[in-house]
Amino acid sequence: MAPQVTSEPRAAAPRSITATRPLLGWRTVDILTIAFLGAALGVAFWGWGVFYTGPLTALKIGYAPLMGLFAGPWFLAGVVGGLVVRRPGAALFCEVVAALVSMLPGTEWGATVLVSGILQGLGAELAFAVFGYRAFGAAVAVLAGVLSAPLEWAFEVVSFPASWADVPVLSVLADGGGWYAEWVLRDKLVYLGAMTLSGAVLAGLLGWVLVRALARAGALSAFPAGQEQREIRAV
Amino acid sequence: MQVSALTWRPFGRREPVLRSVTLRLGPGERVLLVGPSGSGKSTLLRALAGLLETADAGDLEGEVLVDGAPPGARPGMVGLVLQEPGAGVVAASVGRDVAFGPENVGMPPVAMPAVVASALTAVGLGDLPLDTPTSALSGGQTQRLALAGTLALDPSVVLLDEPTAMLDPRSAEEVRDAVAALTGVVRRSHRVEGWSGALTEGSEGAAGHPSGQRPPVLAGAATPTLVVVEHVLAPWVDLVDRLVVLSADGRVVADGPVRETLEIERHRLLDMGIWVPDEGPPRPLAVDPALIAPRRRPRDAVGRSGPAAALTATPLTVERSTRLVDGTVRTRPAARLTSPLDAAPGTLTALVGPSGSGKSTVLHALAGFLDPTTADAVRVRTPGSDTSPGSGTSPGSGTSPGARTAPGDLAATDLARAMAWVPQWSSSTIVAATVLEEVLATSAALGDVDPATSERARSLLTTLRLGHLARADPRHLSGGEQRRLAVAAALLHGPPVLLADEPTVGQDRRTWAAVVGLVAAYRSAGGAVVAATHDRHVVERATVVHRLEPPPRAVEPALPAAVPLVARCGPLALLVGALLAIPAGVISPHWTTSLAVLATQAVLALVGLSAPGPGTRSRGRLRATGLRMLPGVVAALSVGWSTWFLAGRDLDPALTVALRVLVIVLPSAVLIPWIDPDRLGDHLAQRVRLPDRPVVATAAALQRVHSFGEVWGELARVRRIRGLGVSWRSPSSVAAHLGALTMGLLVRTLHAAAELAVAMDARGFATARARSWWMPAPWPWRDTLLVALATLPALVAVVAG
Repeated sequence: MAPQVTSEPRAAAPRSITATRPLLGWRTVDILTIAFLGAALGVAFWGWGVFYTGPLTALKIGYAPLMGLFAGPWFLAGVVGGLVVRRPGAALFCEVVAALVSMLPGTEWGATVLVSGILQGLGAELAFAVFGYRAFGAAVAVLAGVLSAPLEWAFEVVSFPASWADVPVLSVLADGGGWYAEWVLRDKLVYLGAMTLSGAVLAGLLGWVLVRALARAGALSAFPAGQEQREIRAV
Repeated sequence: MQVSALTWRPFGRREPVLRSVTLRLGPGERVLLVGPSGSGKSTLLRALAGLLETADAGDLEGEVLVDGAPPGARPGMVGLVLQEPGAGVVAASVGRDVAFGPENVGMPPVAMPAVVASALTAVGLGDLPLDTPTSALSGGQTQRLALAGTLALDPSVVLLDEPTAMLDPRSAEEVRDAVAALTGVVRRSHRVEGWSGALTEGSEGAAGHPSGQRPPVLAGAATPTLVVVEHVLAPWVDLVDRLVVLSADGRVVADGPVRETLEIERHRLLDMGIWVPDEGPPRPLAVDPALIAPRRRPRDAVGRSGPAAALTATPLTVERSTRLVDGTVRTRPAARLTSPLDAAPGTLTALVGPSGSGKSTVLHALAGFLDPTTADAVRVRTPGSDTSPGSGTSPGSGTSPGARTAPGDLAATDLARAMAWVPQWSSSTIVAATVLEEVLATSAALGDVDPATSERARSLLTTLRLGHLARADPRHLSGGEQRRLAVAAALLHGPPVLLADEPTVGQDRRTWAAVVGLVAAYRSAGGAVVAATHDRHVVERATVVHRLEPPPRAVEPALPAAVPLVARCGPLALLVGALLAIPAGVISPHWTTSLAVLATQAVLALVGLSAPGPGTRSRGRLRATGLRMLPGVVAALSVGWSTWFLAGRDLDPALTVALRVLVIVLPSAVLIPWIDPDRLGDHLAQRVRLPDRPVVATAAALQRVHSFGEVWGELARVRRIRGLGVSWRSPSSVAAHLGALTMGLLVRTLHAAAELAVAMDARGFATARARSWWMPAPWPWRDTLLVALATLPALVAVVAG
């Protein structure tokens, strides 16, 4: 399977090199790289979680929805996984492995980390899917970071109305909800805005920069991202 | 095996690495493949295994056929053992690791034990219990395990990529014995020393069948064809019957019976820098001592306190503690230095001993990275400020010049002035973007880069045959090149002490002569060297030799700790049990309900953590669970606070959300620690029917999570000893530090993934469509009970709500 390298002269804006066809034909190195990247980022997640639970808790004493500004790093695995392997499922797989790894040593969120991983990964995956797994520039990376936020946000702030108490099946849910169910809507929306902004910068842009740096370090030679670097530098 | 006109150019390279290579290997033939470094030997092996494009991309021409089919036609047809021990380890236990190939071809589980046992016996590991952790094996055992893994698939061809380059002589001999047994060569004597001198007697008597007179291998015989890549030839000459020589530009330049070819090509091989039998070590290169003179001249030292050593250590022991999952801590000695060590100017102190004897650990202790049990064991003299012209300030050190200090107490810049370190993983020393900047990095951190220093840096690179690479990215260099670069980068700023971990590994004769010559010049200029080494010719040059013995293993308690009830359940049940807390928390409408739910959970937790039955009592369990709850408690408090603050300063909703957090988190703290990654993989694939290959890959990655911590630690140490310290008062230094460590960790991780991909594909993983499993994934009644009990809190929530 020779990787596809565009042979026509490169335009001013370099186009993304896509993964080898078929897109769903995951090579061993694709699977392992996602798993290893996810594991390494999972360890980083855990470290970030300690920081987040520790010093950053001061923010909660002030205005808690601003915590969303620090949510971005948790979306990083999805963005990086998608940018490196460029196959359907890469972003989701990477984010889930990272969540699993950060869950095992114990965090303040317990097993919900796994659920969050799936929700965030699905969001990032959506961004790459929208472009048919053909575009992997900075803008797409930022979009992936942005889309990682909404599902996770919904999971954290969901609240079920007390009026459901009379509805047959839904009654068990009445008055229940997620971590921040009791906030007023305005605060919840501020939280969404903060998370989205953080996702765009700390996951999207940072992820894109990170993948480029890894490619330059020669660590991605088996992947399209690595080949793009070689194409740019080819002499 | 037929190789026809094979040419390979990886993308990003102008010149092909292999040029029109044509070879024909008969069944059972044993071939030694040699060539100068960078001649594409490893690449050719990967081509022979059909794995060139597994972890790289490029233009490939020509073809490889094994028994008339491409190498991947039958999984495991071509087995491959990689250079670095452990690079190809897939699983946590020996049995599961060997069974990886059979699993990939869908062998019925009942047939596996016999195959695994015979493969392990063939490599001399038949006595190991199948559940031995792969992490507990020595380097030599790990390489033999890799060989067993290929044998389990009954290969036609076995490829060995410098299988002993990273091993001590005894382990290397074990591996060669296993290879000899495999190929039917009878060896009479063990020659642990190996290398040049020993071959004179070896060539006469060691091989049972002198080359050319071996009994012909019968058609269809089980003896596989063997191809070995090595650059130290002597120990392998008896084991092979043919020698193939690759040139620096990737062509086959000689091919024939091993002894004749050695005779004819002797000078060409020596020119390539290959360690040819019957040839003593090369003469060390003459290097001008002025190039790397340590800042503190010996006469300064002698004047004050006689033959003062720049670094001293009393006998010391380093202990390593492991915290087990049940909260108990097990401490065992990791290394022991039994006699005092004085690194005096001009001396070379050699630390020798088998792998696992703690040589690297002692070096770590000398550099102050670890705390030896005797707190004041290691003392280093800090170079006086008068001898370091132009140096910047050293914040936070507070040490007076010339004082004797524990290295761990020094600020990064002072430590860099006092000593340098070449770690075992020389790629981790890289802190700069070009080779030249890399050499200058420590001098720059100490604030003394001037044109003369840059000039010395260039000369140093030229001496080490790296001059042409001055502007290259150091991360793209080969392993041997990176090691030489690490030596240059350690010495340029003139530290009085050099700690070097295997400084000559992977060097050919020419670069070996350069490294040894450079170290000699450094000594004659007054430097003190402490080196951990297996290299006989380096040990010969030592002033003092410290022989380290592997410390005794920790004594296992006679009675194992009693197993708590939750630990007797399967991983899937544990995970489901933890996840069931989420609905329980979400549907709790009011804190009064949550309180009832929490109480139920607490009772269940106490029952689950109790450990009836035989075994020693462990007191750490509840405390460990409490510790794991701590972040959850912090989260509950902060979420409760924010809700109180933002939702009308009402205590009611605040209590509700706070208790909801505790309800969700408590079961995770109790259940998740007992999940075993390998067994979770078994269950996710066999019970939940998740796709096999991602599950196996994830389990393999989880296996290695602990190694990430080690890599991170080593990268941090390197930065510290190279003078790149972190100060919490300077956020930019913290950011630079974290960024560098993260990048370093990710780069190392990606390389590990690529290596493992090659090893896994060589064992049939690429085509594993219908895998079978070494271990079944049973679901005993206990698991059902656990899930039923874990539903209880949710039921309480519904009823009470």
